[in-house]
Amino acid sequence: MSSDILSFIIFLPAVVAFGLMITTRDVNTIRNIAFLTTTVILAMVLKIYIEFVPSAGMQFVTNVPWIETYGINYYVGLDGFSLTILLMIAILIPTSYLLLWEGKTKGYWINMLLVQTGVTGTLLSLDVVLFYFFWEVMLLPVFLLIGLYGFGNKVFTTIKVTVYTMVGSLLMFIAILYLGVAYHNEFGVWSFAYDKLMQITTIPYDTRVWLFLAFLTAFAIKIPIFPLHTWIMETYKNAPTGAVFLLSSIMAKLGVYAIVRFMIPIFPEIYVEFSTWFVAIGLFGLIYFGIAALMQDDIKRMFAYSSASHLSFISAGIFSLNSYGINGALYLIIAHAIATGALFLLVGLMQEQTGFKTIKDLGGIAKKAPIFTFIFAIMLFANVGLPGTNGFVSELLIIFGIYEFNHTLGYIGALTVIIGAAYMLWMFQRAILQDRPEGAPELTMRDLKVKEIIGLIPWVILVFLMGLYPEIFINKFEPTVTHYLNDILHIGASK
Amino acid sequence: MSQFLYLIPALTVLIGALVLMFMSMYEKFTVKNFIVVSSLFLLIALGFTLSDVGNSYSVQPYEHFLSNVLTFDTFSNFFNILLIAGTLLTLLIGEHYFQHRSYFKGEFFSILLFALFGMMVLAHANELVTAYIALEIASFSVYIMVGYNTEDSKRVEAIFKYLVLGSFIGAFYLLGVVLVYGATQSTNLADISAFILTASSDDMILVYIGLTLILFTFLFKVAAFPFQSWVLDVYRGAPMVITAYMASTFKIAIFSFFLRAILAYFAPIIDFWDSIIAVIIVLTLVFGTWLAITQQIVKRMLAASSIVHTGYLLLAFIALGYKDGQIINIDSAYATMFYLIAYLLSALGTFGLASHIMSETNVRVTYDDFKGLAHERPFLAAMMTIFLFSLAGIPSTIGFIGKFYVFTEAINAGYTGLTIVAIFATIVSVYYYFKLIAVMYFYPAPLTCSIEGFNDKRVSTYAIAFVAILTVLGGIGSAIVFFIPSMNIDAIINLTQVAVQSLFIK
Repeated sequence: MSSDILSFIIFLPAVVAFGLMITTRDVNTIRNIAFLTTTVILAMVLKIYIEFVPSAGMQFVTNVPWIETYGINYYVGLDGFSLTILLMIAILIPTSYLLLWEGKTKGYWINMLLVQTGVTGTLLSLDVVLFYFFWEVMLLPVFLLIGLYGFGNKVFTTIKVTVYTMVGSLLMFIAILYLGVAYHNEFGVWSFAYDKLMQITTIPYDTRVWLFLAFLTAFAIKIPIFPLHTWIMETYKNAPTGAVFLLSSIMAKLGVYAIVRFMIPIFPEIYVEFSTWFVAIGLFGLIYFGIAALMQDDIKRMFAYSSASHLSFISAGIFSLNSYGINGALYLIIAHAIATGALFLLVGLMQEQTGFKTIKDLGGIAKKAPIFTFIFAIMLFANVGLPGTNGFVSELLIIFGIYEFNHTLGYIGALTVIIGAAYMLWMFQRAILQDRPEGAPELTMRDLKVKEIIGLIPWVILVFLMGLYPEIFINKFEPTVTHYLNDILHIGASK
Repeated sequence: MSQFLYLIPALTVLIGALVLMFMSMYEKFTVKNFIVVSSLFLLIALGFTLSDVGNSYSVQPYEHFLSNVLTFDTFSNFFNILLIAGTLLTLLIGEHYFQHRSYFKGEFFSILLFALFGMMVLAHANELVTAYIALEIASFSVYIMVGYNTEDSKRVEAIFKYLVLGSFIGAFYLLGVVLVYGATQSTNLADISAFILTASSDDMILVYIGLTLILFTFLFKVAAFPFQSWVLDVYRGAPMVITAYMASTFKIAIFSFFLRAILAYFAPIIDFWDSIIAVIIVLTLVFGTWLAITQQIVKRMLAASSIVHTGYLLLAFIALGYKDGQIINIDSAYATMFYLIAYLLSALGTFGLASHIMSETNVRVTYDDFKGLAHERPFLAAMMTIFLFSLAGIPSTIGFIGKFYVFTEAINAGYTGLTIVAIFATIVSVYYYFKLIAVMYFYPAPLTCSIEGFNDKRVSTYAIAFVAILTVLGGIGSAIVFFIPSMNIDAIINLTQVAVQSLFIK
């Protein structure tokens, strides 16, 4: 059983979802069952987290043949890196349920469960074809969520986001096949396991660059990295809160994760060679999206840009080639997922209650909903990177990392963080704190319910726990990062 | 007696066709009776073909009587299973449609079985004239069936276009046979193959020209680029169920003969056509994609997308090569056969489901007519989604595995550039397939055409559900979910391997 626990975690939500599909129970029962499922998964993930040995590499591995003719295996397992993200997903999803609790339909909850299978499968698969399988499958429930429960021009948005991400995925697909064929030609057997594909030596340099770019397109679209970001504004604006939460907090992180999991081991030398470019693009994205966020009046669009800005920062950290930067990026993945996830859910709640979508219509929230404002502020500060929060630790590490990589870029990186503080605090002041002007329409806003507060408390605790005692989390994935730097990239962990 | 056993499936279908013909002379039989009787014959034939699954054999029974023009081997048996199963599923899915169209009389089912008989013989044929006769039996049956839709003014255009163009290309085939015969003094594929191995290059000119003409027939029947113009109008004008039949089953029959000819007999010279086919693939993909995105009528969109799928199939076809006395990349033949199965299931599902929905009315042909289907009939919409996913090659459906095999083999054979073109065609296909899904799910149903009392509990629905289950099962296998290794995705590809290997039993 212990080795199958990952399969259980992956497939339990899907099995429950299919079970719920054919029941005729009312929506409350379905939601409760879905919530129970996610808490069961959380319990199992905690069990894994405790049993996990940081120094031991891949653990809980299941490796059984799936498509034997082409050597494709059902190959799942986790190391310190995926474990941290797995824990993050397992905590975020059930608590997000508490915030989405009321007024949803049956299809909404079923799709939420299916997404969980998709994302955990993507996270844990170590065979590239299996990874591709889950990578595509996790998109479909989101497609339905946006199309069914979105706002505005939702059909166009849905098609656009699907085709957009599909372009990247299919380019990656062809690169995957090419790698598999190259492995077959070199070793005489078929395999698509990532640790096997690492051994390929026959592909000429130019081709490797193209393959690298094909992989990168898929991940850069999901993250999104400038200039492949054009889908997110519309999508975040028109999508329902749940889908925005999933896209920004979880799926975007999987794009970064995939870069580390597959691209670094398979193309180490190209990763090193192009790193300057990608750090620069990351920092440019940070500035570009930050300035764009300052300009926004629609609050969801502002958060979309803010999220893109932070993710550019994460990708800059990933490409910084030293343990500060990469550890910091991984840490920011978690920190950002918590902060942005909470903020998107709170903003969704605010929109639902007040019916206003733009910052200038809002204002006076603080008086009506003090607890809401309090938690909103904590998440905002974590997002900005105030000392004491997890955002601070991670941004500091990334800036160190970039500084060590290249001093000039390091200075730029340190300065740009101010932009993030600017748009966030300005928005907070205008939308939440400021009193409403005379004659403005009456604001209907309730404060958080007990259930929602319970849902948010673990996040608040995590924000501070990760901000004050980072080593308990970093210790879990640091050996993995060191292993990457020493054994895969051969550039040494500079710590 | 043992030799006779091999003939039983084809003879069962032939006898079934004759029985149905006699039945149609009596007024008292209803359409339902005909469906039951033809299903019964098809089930018997299917039972006999299935009993040989897994055996590897190759025989040419009754030499004096059949003069070695028909080969009965695992390969033909494999295709017979697909053809019979395809026909049976078409019949069952169409049950609803047949009963609500007054023009489907008894003789229709007889013609359907004659078409199947022609296709089955085609799968056995190893002689050019026999193949031509089998092809024409099947084609003429299909011509008639295309024209059955007396309620649709488009049918005249459809049948004439198909008949005239089909006969025209048939003439090309005959000319090709004549030229090949002129060079080799034989129409038997085995003799031609022996001639190719020994002939000097001067003697080969006629053979090349003749075989190229025959190749054109093949490209016409599978609707590859310069010969695709008939597809849209014929598919549009034909009754929906027949469109499903043509798109899925008929295509398989065409491939069965040409795969046999190429793999077992013409292997030494297949690389001669590589550059032609490469150009054709690119144009087929580009042109099919362009046609598909411009269509407003769902049936025409599906017809156009079937051209794109032909492009994928040809991609696996071109990956076959020949070097030092043996076929290289034989795996791509398996990929082709797997893709045929994948396409059979998905196309049959989509066309069949569309016919099921529009059985009682004549609406539901443009995108707009599919609006709100998910709210009216969620299960049908869910199954339609599965089929469209499969056509688009989304993982967890058999279509993805099919594309995986085809693209891997194409890259393996060095056709990376062509594969990239195919990938771009796939990207665009996501757009036009997902558009239909979006229409079904994201719009409310228009008030005017909500059909009251639509009966979901009928044979058609169950047959479609069966196909949907196969589509998903073929895409994820059973090992990953249920931990049953014996029912895995590999089972199908292993069957194709056994089938292809039986071609080389001498």
